[in-house]
Amino acid sequence: MTAALELGSGESGDNLLARVRTVLGRRTEGRAVALLAVVAVVTAFLEPVVFTSYPVTLGRIALIGLVALGLTAVILMGELDLSVASTLAVSGVVMASIESLPLGIVAALLVGLMIGAANAFFVVAVGINSFIATLGMLFFLRGSAFVLSNEEPVRLANRDAGIAFGKPFLGPLTPRMLLFIGAFIALQVFVTRVRVGREFYAVGGNREAAYDAGIPVTRRIVTGFMISGFVAAMAGVINTLERTAADPTAGSTVLLASFAAAIVGGVLLTGGRGSIFGTLLGATSLGILQVALTLSGVQVDVQNIVIGLVLLLAVITDPNSVRGVVGSVRSLLQGRSRA
Amino acid sequence: MRDDDHDHPVGDGADPNGEPIIEARNITKSFGGAVAVDGVGLAVGAGEIHGLVGENGAGKSTLMRVLAGIVTPDHGVVSIDGVDLDAGNTRAALDAGIALVHQELSLVPEMTVAENILLGSTPTTSGFIKVSEQRRIAAEALNEIGVSVDLDEPIVRLSVALRQFVEIARAVARKPRVLILDEPTATLTPAETDYLLDMLQRLADRGLAIIYISHRIPEIFRICHRVTVLRDGKLVDNIAIADTTPDAVVDQMVGRELKIEEGQRREALPGSVVLSAEGIEAHRVNGIDLQVRAGEIVGLGGLVGAGRTELVRSIIGADIRSAGDVTITTDKGEARVRTYRSAVNNGLAYVPEERRTDGLALTMSVSDNVALPNRSELSRAGILSRSKIARRAQELAEVVGLRPPQVQREAGEYSGGNQQKIVLAKWLGRKPAVIVLDEPTRGVDVGAKAEIHRLIKELADNGTAVLVVSSDLPELLELSDLIHVVRDGRIAGTLDGSVADEKSVMSLASGEATVSGNGDPDDLVGSAQ
Repeated sequence: MTAALELGSGESGDNLLARVRTVLGRRTEGRAVALLAVVAVVTAFLEPVVFTSYPVTLGRIALIGLVALGLTAVILMGELDLSVASTLAVSGVVMASIESLPLGIVAALLVGLMIGAANAFFVVAVGINSFIATLGMLFFLRGSAFVLSNEEPVRLANRDAGIAFGKPFLGPLTPRMLLFIGAFIALQVFVTRVRVGREFYAVGGNREAAYDAGIPVTRRIVTGFMISGFVAAMAGVINTLERTAADPTAGSTVLLASFAAAIVGGVLLTGGRGSIFGTLLGATSLGILQVALTLSGVQVDVQNIVIGLVLLLAVITDPNSVRGVVGSVRSLLQGRSRA
Repeated sequence: MRDDDHDHPVGDGADPNGEPIIEARNITKSFGGAVAVDGVGLAVGAGEIHGLVGENGAGKSTLMRVLAGIVTPDHGVVSIDGVDLDAGNTRAALDAGIALVHQELSLVPEMTVAENILLGSTPTTSGFIKVSEQRRIAAEALNEIGVSVDLDEPIVRLSVALRQFVEIARAVARKPRVLILDEPTATLTPAETDYLLDMLQRLADRGLAIIYISHRIPEIFRICHRVTVLRDGKLVDNIAIADTTPDAVVDQMVGRELKIEEGQRREALPGSVVLSAEGIEAHRVNGIDLQVRAGEIVGLGGLVGAGRTELVRSIIGADIRSAGDVTITTDKGEARVRTYRSAVNNGLAYVPEERRTDGLALTMSVSDNVALPNRSELSRAGILSRSKIARRAQELAEVVGLRPPQVQREAGEYSGGNQQKIVLAKWLGRKPAVIVLDEPTRGVDVGAKAEIHRLIKELADNGTAVLVVSSDLPELLELSDLIHVVRDGRIAGTLDGSVADEKSVMSLASGEATVSGNGDPDDLVGSAQ
């Protein structure tokens, strides 16, 4: 036997501090935590109402977050799903168009699954880039929502159920928030503890390696899109219940907000890196920020400017981007100094 | 030579312990029109380490991918213990006990060591991962190869060497009967290489059949029992190590009869030094000095992965260098260049290896491509002049022999050889003081190749300093006035282009020889221990 060889592993120390540093160094949620801390502290001083009227804040977070959670499953595999917001609208309209409430809910969720399957079909079977495939789906579904609803909100037949749904159910938590928390736990467990979900990281991180290891990549991608479609439909169902009507324009702001939540949460748009927990943190930060800005009387347009800035900040503080930025700035300066 | 051997299985006497475990018979595989592997057979027994050598493109990797079921052969059978395997079925090959350690690392960067070792065969109960079981198997595999690493560390945080060992642990975790390694030492230091070779010997002692692909002849002679030599997809020899010598193996690898010279070597009349690089250090470049004179063609030879591309990219400032100075001296004076832009401003032209991605805008017309680096002189009051561009592009297209010379067509519509001519035309327009070319004729047909060679020589005759990276030995020998052979990010030796031959370059490149034309013997070059 040869003596063990020093191969230069990552830093791994014996003392607690080094341990903690090692564990933290492995996480991808750093920026989301930092953002959340900043937003929470600033808000607590300037606009404490955000926390005292927490049901409003939680509702906002759940609205942004639910779709983002489903979307994360797709982004982890290096694919995109732009059709989530339209899926939300269409499934709501389908649900409201059906007389029986349980049947309507089932139909809406099935529509979500079918949309996910259709997206996956275009991506894996036809071989279209997922950005383009789901962009097409975005327009198709948005149009469908208007056609199916005759361009006006469809009232829910059973309005009482809808009103009951909006009421706090467990403590201050409305069913929407409970479903959001449930979806978070389910997806978090799915991508960390369940083999199929864990393999999403392999599909997104090194697809060639995933193929070579015998992972059914195609099936994983189908699963991912169906999760995204299903969760978006679930958001549609919840929206429709809370408003007791399905609006074909529903969710128009959700698409960008959900992408922003995932990206702020440390999910890499090219796949393989990030976490469901990160998306939750991202959605929480953006939710608090939006509510705080609204309560301070900031116009929606200005809010968008702020969110845009936060998103850019999150992306350029990615460790990889930072290195890139430093490199380009340095060569820019050098180029200047010579010219 | 036993060139006709390839029609027969070549297991005879290959195996010290009786029947071979793995046997491949008459494997043929072509991609498009090109035959990558042509009727090759191979047999390896328990406890045997079988070396597989050949130049770049000799078909080694393709053959191994056939054995592992990743590539479906056109003809031929792979069998384990005499039972034929389903061709091109990765799962069947894995189940039969064939494990391939890839040349490109096939790990998932953000997943942990334990997860990567069991990727694709994660133990589960009703869908949930059995984490303790996963860790146990991973720890066992790492233990078996004698490497200790934190099981929860994501791959992205490991050194390149550790990643290589995790990759091997992953193969070992599958309890294989046959272990195939494709250039596992390409990125390792000498100490790490020693460790890996010892480990392979231990694994073989336990009855594994090991197929070991390497360009490094000393490694082959250190651990292998037999060696198979491939050339141009064909089996050249399969011989016991005891019955051959490193020299003989290199001869067989290179072996092609020297082609009738298509191009003649030119008389070089080098002038003063134009490009000078001193003490260059960068990623995979470990302290290199070199100079190129006006009218001189300097060739950089060596194996793929030796660090040549990294070297030229760091010299021209396209990649960051951690140390070293580069100066370009022209009639306008001497300039130290740090960035690619300042290099280009001082008369440098660069033709990259990946011309499709780096060198050409494929959807733009030929004339627009040609205009790219020449914008200022083709403008009138800051606005690009269409007529000037078209006229200049047409001139250059004729100079480089673009066929058909229609400069309004999109660059992407042209063949590889013509695309390369467009890239050259782009830079010829500037009459560069220095031109750096990386693999200028890769994937180019014979006719275009001769023309590109002619252009490169013309450039030099007109006083341009030329630096060429090429894996194509005849090309390197035909073009270069001086050849630096790069290995492991260093210059392993320098040869005078007029006296160098394929064998002397290959010997230096593979670390089999340490002789050096300019009296600069390399210390670390692996002599067979």
